[in-house]
Amino acid sequence: MWSYTFRRVLMTIPTLLAVITVCYLLLHLTPGGPFDSERKVSAAVLANLQAKYHLDLPLWQQYLYYLKSLLQGDLGASFRYADWSVNDLVAKALPVSATIGGLSLLLSLLIGVTLGTFAALRQNSAVDYLVMLLGNIGSVVPSFVMGPVLILIFAIWLPWLPAGGWMDFDVRYMLLPMALLTFINVSTIGRVMRGSLIEVMSSNFIRTARAKGLPTRTIVLRHAFKPALMPVVSVLGPLAISSITAAIVTESVFSLPGIGKLIVNGAANRDYTLVLGLVVLITVLTVLINLLVDLAYAWLDPKIRY
Amino acid sequence: MTAKRTTLSDTLSAALDNPSVRGRSPWRDARERFFRNKAAVASLVLLALITLACVFGPMLLPHSYEDTDWDAMSLGPTLVNWHLFGTDELGRDLLVRCLIGGRISLTVGVLATLASVTLGIAWGATAGFIGGKVDTVMMRIVDMMYAVPYLLIAILMVTLLGREFYLVVLTITVFSWMDMARVVRGQTLAIKSREYIEAAHAIGVSTPAIIFRHIVPNLLGIVVIYTTVTVPGVILTESVLSFLGLGVQEPMTSWGVLIEDGTGVMESTPWILLFPALLLSLTLYSANYIGDGLRDALDPKDR
Amino acid sequence: MRKTTVLSTIASSVLLALAGHAMAAKMPAGTQLAAKQELIRNNGSEPESLDPALAESVGANNLTRDLFEGLTATDADGKVVPGVAESWKQTDPTTWVFKLRKNAKWSNGTPVVAADFVYGWQRFLDPKTASPYASTYGVFVLNGLEVSEGKKPVSAVGIRAVDPYTVEVKTPYPVSFLPDVVSNLNLGPVNKAAVDKFGKDWTKPGKLVSNGAFMLKDWQVNSKVVIEKNPQYWDKGNVQLGKVTYLPVEDGFADVKLYQSGENDWVYQLPPATYEKYKKEMPKDIRNAPMLGLRYYSFNNKDALMKDKRVRQALSMVIDRDLLAQKITADGQVPAYGVIVRGVSGADVTAYEWSKWPMAKRVEEAKKLLAAAGVKPGAKVKFTYNTSEYHKKMALFAASEWKSKLGLDTEMESMEFKVLLKKRHDGDFQIARNGWVADYNDATTFLTLVQCGSDQNDNGNCNQKAEELIKQGNQSTDPAKRKQLLTQAAKLVMDDYPMLPLLQYTVPRLVKPYVGGYSTKNPMDRYRSKDLYIIKH
Repeated sequence: MWSYTFRRVLMTIPTLLAVITVCYLLLHLTPGGPFDSERKVSAAVLANLQAKYHLDLPLWQQYLYYLKSLLQGDLGASFRYADWSVNDLVAKALPVSATIGGLSLLLSLLIGVTLGTFAALRQNSAVDYLVMLLGNIGSVVPSFVMGPVLILIFAIWLPWLPAGGWMDFDVRYMLLPMALLTFINVSTIGRVMRGSLIEVMSSNFIRTARAKGLPTRTIVLRHAFKPALMPVVSVLGPLAISSITAAIVTESVFSLPGIGKLIVNGAANRDYTLVLGLVVLITVLTVLINLLVDLAYAWLDPKIRY
Repeated sequence: MTAKRTTLSDTLSAALDNPSVRGRSPWRDARERFFRNKAAVASLVLLALITLACVFGPMLLPHSYEDTDWDAMSLGPTLVNWHLFGTDELGRDLLVRCLIGGRISLTVGVLATLASVTLGIAWGATAGFIGGKVDTVMMRIVDMMYAVPYLLIAILMVTLLGREFYLVVLTITVFSWMDMARVVRGQTLAIKSREYIEAAHAIGVSTPAIIFRHIVPNLLGIVVIYTTVTVPGVILTESVLSFLGLGVQEPMTSWGVLIEDGTGVMESTPWILLFPALLLSLTLYSANYIGDGLRDALDPKDR
Repeated sequence: MRKTTVLSTIASSVLLALAGHAMAAKMPAGTQLAAKQELIRNNGSEPESLDPALAESVGANNLTRDLFEGLTATDADGKVVPGVAESWKQTDPTTWVFKLRKNAKWSNGTPVVAADFVYGWQRFLDPKTASPYASTYGVFVLNGLEVSEGKKPVSAVGIRAVDPYTVEVKTPYPVSFLPDVVSNLNLGPVNKAAVDKFGKDWTKPGKLVSNGAFMLKDWQVNSKVVIEKNPQYWDKGNVQLGKVTYLPVEDGFADVKLYQSGENDWVYQLPPATYEKYKKEMPKDIRNAPMLGLRYYSFNNKDALMKDKRVRQALSMVIDRDLLAQKITADGQVPAYGVIVRGVSGADVTAYEWSKWPMAKRVEEAKKLLAAAGVKPGAKVKFTYNTSEYHKKMALFAASEWKSKLGLDTEMESMEFKVLLKKRHDGDFQIARNGWVADYNDATTFLTLVQCGSDQNDNGNCNQKAEELIKQGNQSTDPAKRKQLLTQAAKLVMDDYPMLPLLQYTVPRLVKPYVGGYSTKNPMDRYRSKDLYIIKH
């Protein structure tokens, strides 16, 4: 297991290099540079700015320069946020996104598994349809519609919660964004849980258990639950990763100072170092999450050995 | 030796007579199972209606999707002048814009899905069939693609390449084919070890021919299911790109663009948001139910 | 709004030895202040820097204006008032002397002296600082431009500390509006000791040493910047607000929602077409005033089709700016028919003769012009703009005018802002959306849009005669003469139709009725928190 983990982590390096290189080229090919602004800077000032950020060097030299500082753990200086380093920015934004994303994933896991179980045990009943109908709404109503609707209801009509913003991990500011993300994720988890529990319940060993006369409650909790959870675990990885992407939308809807906000502003302002830094961060996170999911999977399923 | 050759060609002819492992009757079973599923059938009808309306509706309506009317800005739904869905902030008929937008969204959905499914099948079948180092490299590339923050790259790509319709399709395709590739590879590995494939190999049928003549047809069930799952995902991705201001160019529109316009004014003129959002959601809902229905129908063990 | 002219005109000796209390937040008699003097104000975007030399955006300048104080300042009505300098005079056409007050202090208690300004200006213009505004203000200081280009050493900048409390500024030509220019914090003082000690980190909370009415308390990127009253400020008795929180919300709709849910006292700018709605719903909160800014479309004067002046004129003539202002943007903007907007000093507004004609006659004339130029109905023009609800609506309006009145088809191309900027600067467009907000209150800031070879001229036009008039005007020490020359130049250059002026900017926003000191006569939209206060509510 350890050597497997080690190999997986090692494999991150070529992935990371490939992703960085592609993004690097894409960024520099994209028209408009970090210093194009409404007031065009004079040629002399532009030269000063480029010299300050080493953009006057040939592209390959800049690239090597970037890789070198990356090795030292330095993601460079931001262009858009001139007073801050990318390390500073990421260090402040990541906890915001991670808190909201992580908590909502946990919440959707709880709700989704419960709803899915409920629907599976009463398959094709009114309860099943209702639960699935509600769950489905999360996957068919785009988050950028649901978000403003939540704000309209809970911040404007019923002035219970702030319409957005962020105050040092104050829970009131976290509720609406978390509700939105949970809504989206619950539908996926609920559907998967329902499907897999139905499958497990119709398998031979459950039939045997039934034949022995065990009550449904015991059967589900003791025997069916764990194998039914396996597919749920396998979607947790993609869901966690898509939360990072979803952050782009939620954070702009709720004006949150997280990673998603940095991505949008970084790309729009051609903040080369910031965007690359975020790409590195997200890539590493993705690989780690996938690894964790695989390990959890192995733990749940004794048949898998690495 | 002779005996063995006979066995091989027997197996081969059997396989050629019956190209699909399941044969015909399982497909008929599947069809019957599907049509017994009321939710799926209702969804199919609804989706067909929406599609037909988007294709033919604009020809039947008295308005053009681009004509502005400064005396009829932000009208609510009304029979006057046949503005059944009302008008947008520039006095353009919302019904016709919703239908035209639907054309774009559905076309993006179908084209990008077809492209990514084709790419996914080709990639997965090739990797699975050839195996060895090629397989390792190809699947490593798939892993890499999963690790790419796709929305960020999509933003860059659309900015870089422009906001033409086909570029939006291309951008979405690039990040939607990996699931398919993985599934197909797994199935290919399973099918590959079957005897009739070994037989085809033995008599010298070329690798691409084996992949496309024998392996791909056997993947049909799983492909159909995955396709229906991919369509709503792709349509949703298009709408997210539109929300970020990277959708198709005005005066052309899509559901995503219309919804983006509508969210700003949802308090004062809610119908500008409501109609496109409703159409998009109904379409996604139907696609999901059809997907579920197909899965239940084609995969009997999942019952 | 012309009041500022009075200040900058008298070339010999203006001095504003107003006593301190006269510049305080001007409260009507009997105003009852709230116990809690705190304001939350949306700033429209995250400041790119709090370093006064690097501040470029409106948002960053709003903050540096509160944190720092220059030789002069502008009050709530946009009038130039004393800042660190108590008085100033123009001793000869190109020399100004500023007398500093003795009680001005940095937030760490050390006095603000002439050397702090010399250091601030030199640092601002130093190529190593690479300030994007170096050339904009550098032109008004002797050797400023040369220093920013690295052609002369920083010591050559035309600013000198005559004694600790006297600053002498040399200009390359007579700059009558210099007191207005030096109110910009790019030209403010900088505490050298703090910069030397903390280096790049000197603008962070706990490190920033500032001399304005406020000091930096907290800065959370993309979340908020909090400033607090500076106890060392020389005029602290007249500062009412104890704490100001600046929010960086970019989306107008989100901004309004925060305002409605009570998270915000000050909407940066209302989203398009919502002004009338909120005017009805919240008549006490709505504030709207014209500002020194111009919305216009650039014609690429070098483009095969657009190089024909008749085509440009025809396209400009048929746009119904009144309808555009009333129905499309619907936020009280003023139609514009020239490059100079109302309220700007140094030149009069010019307008095309046809602006008073009935539309039918304009269309007829425009059709003739197009026919003469050989452009037939059905011809295509290409319009480029950056993705935004506001610009989209205006663009669709223009396209519809060209289509319905001239039969021209418009291909619209929307792109990200940075891409538009690049295309505009490179001349890679036919017609492009453009806009300009004055950096300082003088006509020359607008003339840079149409001057030969100017960095801000995206149209690529050049009128040598107008150029000559501007040069003469700038050399003139007689304000009336200068104004006449610049107005003449503006008219002359606009007769070439290098661009299509549309509307003069307004700033429609919501401000809570209990925020006092807000004036609708502030043409630069520059509000110091020093002038604001919270009324008991």
